[in-house]
Amino acid sequence: MVWARRLWLRLQTLFRRERVAQRLDDEVQFHLEQQIAENIAAGMNPQEARYAATRTFGNPTSTKEEARDTWGWFWLEQIASDLRYGVRMLRRSPGFTAVAVMTLALGIGANTAIFSFIDAVLLRALPVAEPEQLVVFMWTAHAQPKFTGHSGYGDCDTRVTECSLSGRFYETVRAQAKSFSGVAAFAGPLEMDLSGNGPASIARGEYVSGDFFSTLGVKMELGRPLGREDDSRSAPPAIVLSYGYWQRAFGGDRSAIGRMVRLNNTEVVIAGVTEPRFTSLTPGKTQDFFLPFALSDRVKSEWWGDTDRYLDPATFWVLIVGRLKPGVSMAQAQEEASGLFRNEMVRGAKPLLKEADEPAVRLERAAQGLNGETLQIAPMLYVITATVGLVLFIACANVAGLMLARAAKRQKEMAVRSALGAGRRRIIRQLLTESVLLSMLGGALGAFVAVWGVQAITKLISSGFGEGFPYVVRLDWHVLAFTIGVTFATGILFGLAPARSGARAELTAGLRENESYVGRKEGRAARRLRLGDALVMAQVGLSVVVLTGAGLLVRTLHNLHELNPGFDTRNILLFGINPTIAGYRDEQSAQLYHYLQEQFAALPGVASASYSEEALLSGAWSGFDVHLDGAPPNTNVSTAVLPVGLNFFSTMGIRLIAGRTFTPADFATASATNRAIQTAEERSQAGGGTADRVSQAQAAPIPVIVNKAFARKFFAKENPIGKHMGNAEYEDEPAKGPQPGYSIVGVAGNTKYADLRGELRPTMYLPLVRNSAHFELRTAGNPTALVGLVRDIVSRVDKNLPLFEVRTQTEQIEETLFQERVMTRLSSFFGLLALVLACIGLYGLLSYDVARRTKEVGIRMALGAEQGHVLRMVARRGIRLVVVGAAAGIGAALGVTRFMASMLYDVRANDPATIAGVAALLGLVALAACWIPVRRAMRVDPMVALRYE
Amino acid sequence: MGKPNDLVQGTLDLLILKTISLEPKHGWAIAKRIQQISREVLQVQQGSLYPALHRLEQKAWIKAKWKETETGRQAKFYSLTAAGRAQLEKEAENWSRLSAAINLVVETT
Repeated sequence: MVWARRLWLRLQTLFRRERVAQRLDDEVQFHLEQQIAENIAAGMNPQEARYAATRTFGNPTSTKEEARDTWGWFWLEQIASDLRYGVRMLRRSPGFTAVAVMTLALGIGANTAIFSFIDAVLLRALPVAEPEQLVVFMWTAHAQPKFTGHSGYGDCDTRVTECSLSGRFYETVRAQAKSFSGVAAFAGPLEMDLSGNGPASIARGEYVSGDFFSTLGVKMELGRPLGREDDSRSAPPAIVLSYGYWQRAFGGDRSAIGRMVRLNNTEVVIAGVTEPRFTSLTPGKTQDFFLPFALSDRVKSEWWGDTDRYLDPATFWVLIVGRLKPGVSMAQAQEEASGLFRNEMVRGAKPLLKEADEPAVRLERAAQGLNGETLQIAPMLYVITATVGLVLFIACANVAGLMLARAAKRQKEMAVRSALGAGRRRIIRQLLTESVLLSMLGGALGAFVAVWGVQAITKLISSGFGEGFPYVVRLDWHVLAFTIGVTFATGILFGLAPARSGARAELTAGLRENESYVGRKEGRAARRLRLGDALVMAQVGLSVVVLTGAGLLVRTLHNLHELNPGFDTRNILLFGINPTIAGYRDEQSAQLYHYLQEQFAALPGVASASYSEEALLSGAWSGFDVHLDGAPPNTNVSTAVLPVGLNFFSTMGIRLIAGRTFTPADFATASATNRAIQTAEERSQAGGGTADRVSQAQAAPIPVIVNKAFARKFFAKENPIGKHMGNAEYEDEPAKGPQPGYSIVGVAGNTKYADLRGELRPTMYLPLVRNSAHFELRTAGNPTALVGLVRDIVSRVDKNLPLFEVRTQTEQIEETLFQERVMTRLSSFFGLLALVLACIGLYGLLSYDVARRTKEVGIRMALGAEQGHVLRMVARRGIRLVVVGAAAGIGAALGVTRFMASMLYDVRANDPATIAGVAALLGLVALAACWIPVRRAMRVDPMVALRYE
Repeated sequence: MGKPNDLVQGTLDLLILKTISLEPKHGWAIAKRIQQISREVLQVQQGSLYPALHRLEQKAWIKAKWKETETGRQAKFYSLTAAGRAQLEKEAENWSRLSAAINLVVETT
């Protein structure tokens, strides 16, 4: 039972330490009094007795200490006292503590937030079961297959590879391939008209195969997933909602399951809702619901025509992913899939390629192959990461510098401790405790900043995505641990600085007062200051880099804002209408638009109204080839194309340079021509002869207006008005039916078409006689005030005609400039932060310098130096640091900013004006930071300085 | 007699254990008793005594109790535990072996 007793005693000394210590005091006191009593009994008087007793007793304190030593737990006691002392020291210099803690917190928090965001957007695994097993099908061939149609929806990087295949091929793979435990197909999303849940709206639906959810391993939040049975054309149509859309459009109502809605006039039932974490298979894309491919014959896009898109082997629009069977390697599966593809392409029902074209399938891990819209944000995120990394560096340098300065001040304290008997390890442990305490405080605060920062960044960047930000961003604890570790390491490393010197036995030097002007020898103090100098210069230099980047981005944004896009952007209301998905045909659409245009133009507050196929600067554009008259046969030129309505140019404020604008007669001509072409196409498809001469006469050339760039490029030496251009001619596709071509009736001024940054393309404007349209209303006052009236008018015409993308032209422009705005905001924030940190570092260093040289300053002034001399002495150091640091920073900036060149507009990466501006800003602020210590130096009273010991 | 001899830690333990083996004593009494019995040769310094007492207590060879003395004061009385008794026997035996060996060496040469 001895061990039990020992344990009991150990616990007592740990938890009842005070009481045990008190008892020890009593015990020793008792002993002393017994000795006194004995002395008195031996004949001394009480006074003498006491003296004698105390003398023989020896040192009660050391006795008690040695007794305490036996109690164990010594290390714990020491740590506790270290902590208490550390807290006291930190509280004694609140400025230093506050700055250091905030610097650490900011560095940790900002970095963690950014990296968490990047992780979610760029690196996160696919939100499905066992994503490593999923592979996506890509294909290659030496020639272009003879498609009927070819569409991509932004799932893979089509500059590098092709991932759209045909539905027929998917069926083949599903039936015959043995390397996969499951194969799924998907395509889209496509915009559809959804009605039956409040007013009709546009929703985005993704076509999926029946086994999509089971292959991917996606769970349902409610209801059932789509299954194989939904692949049948005769199955009752069903859709599955995305979780986000269910929350937004149905309010999370559980009774939505089983409800019927209409998609483009087809009744479907809502069968289920997916789990929240499944936003999409392709990162960055969203969709509102999933519908089976079987519905693609009834619920379709206006662009599709009449062929069965899903089963047509020559329409490539479907993506295929497969889950590898365990034990099957990717090479094996690729071999098999390639064989099936080659078979289908060369020997299938509709051969699209020759054997010599070597059609092949390549499999790629879904996580790498499907990158979708992530590509757009990637460069932005890399720049932000670099910026934040630099700022973290500056923050660490700042803290390091602060600690070095503090260490220098405490040299004397360390010497005294050593002299009193503290061992080196003891001193190091105490300093370590202080640094750890500081780093812990910084880390705890940093965690808060990180949590808040993740939310702030998400809100900032997702605001440019409209509804349904496609990423789920969560705080990444690994990153937090990493950044805390880094800052801990920095804090501890530099916190130990005083220990390295102070713990050595060079006590006399430390205890002496006048080391400060013992000269610029290689003293420890001089060395430490050089390191401090280097740190401040590094901070200044890095701040210059960050500020230069920010400055360039600010100028870019300014340039883009100031850019004249070629039309008047003020007070224009934009909105889109898509009548074809509500069942309108070409002629009806054209009439509808004309009617609506008149109605809108008659509204009070509307100066003029028009419409076009796409709104300007919305990111979308289309184009095709034309054949110039007189050019060699089968050679074409490419031009951008924009179908527009009446009064387009006057509404948008685009100058007409020559000729005329469209008249209603032009629209009639265009309609008639289109109808003739369509009829001829239908007849030739139904098996009629080649060019039907009868309809040739009814097909007049379509009147078009070209822009100045077009005229200059293709009609440089002549007047384009009245000239004719032919339809595009292709060698291997002889013309079927009438080819009336186009007739130029006017030349308009240049405008930017799809975006602000792109160059001015040669553009051809046609009368808009079919498809969807975007309306532009030029208003006298605030455009958004008219939205209600517009909706009224449209719904009066047809309740099932939803408006979409309602915004003003200025809002549209801001949307396209979203990336630039975010980048500018973030980089300016970090630039200023870097500047503030650098100045704090500079200020700290200089004020320490002044404090250290107070005596020297006093002597100089006593010997007659003027104030100006003193000022120069102190300021010289500061200015030297700033100049050297800034010079280094400018050099670094020149080297680094060239990587940003692609993000800039109309500003060179080494723009001298920006650099000069940054240097000036830095100089001003740095001077301010020098000012305070300099003033303190000037106010030194020589008498006080000399007397101060 | 003269200056107190340096007492090795182990022997101090032995002395303390022996002294309190008959009846519990407080620190002062232990020091006095050792002094007395050794005829003033061994004078234990307080600086060694109390650390030793606390060390022995932590090892659970002696246990302590606060009691009233004859004069009515509160004092910490130490007594042997069972383990302490065993330790005492062991130390005593060690000591006699050691001292016998030393004696042999000193007397033979």
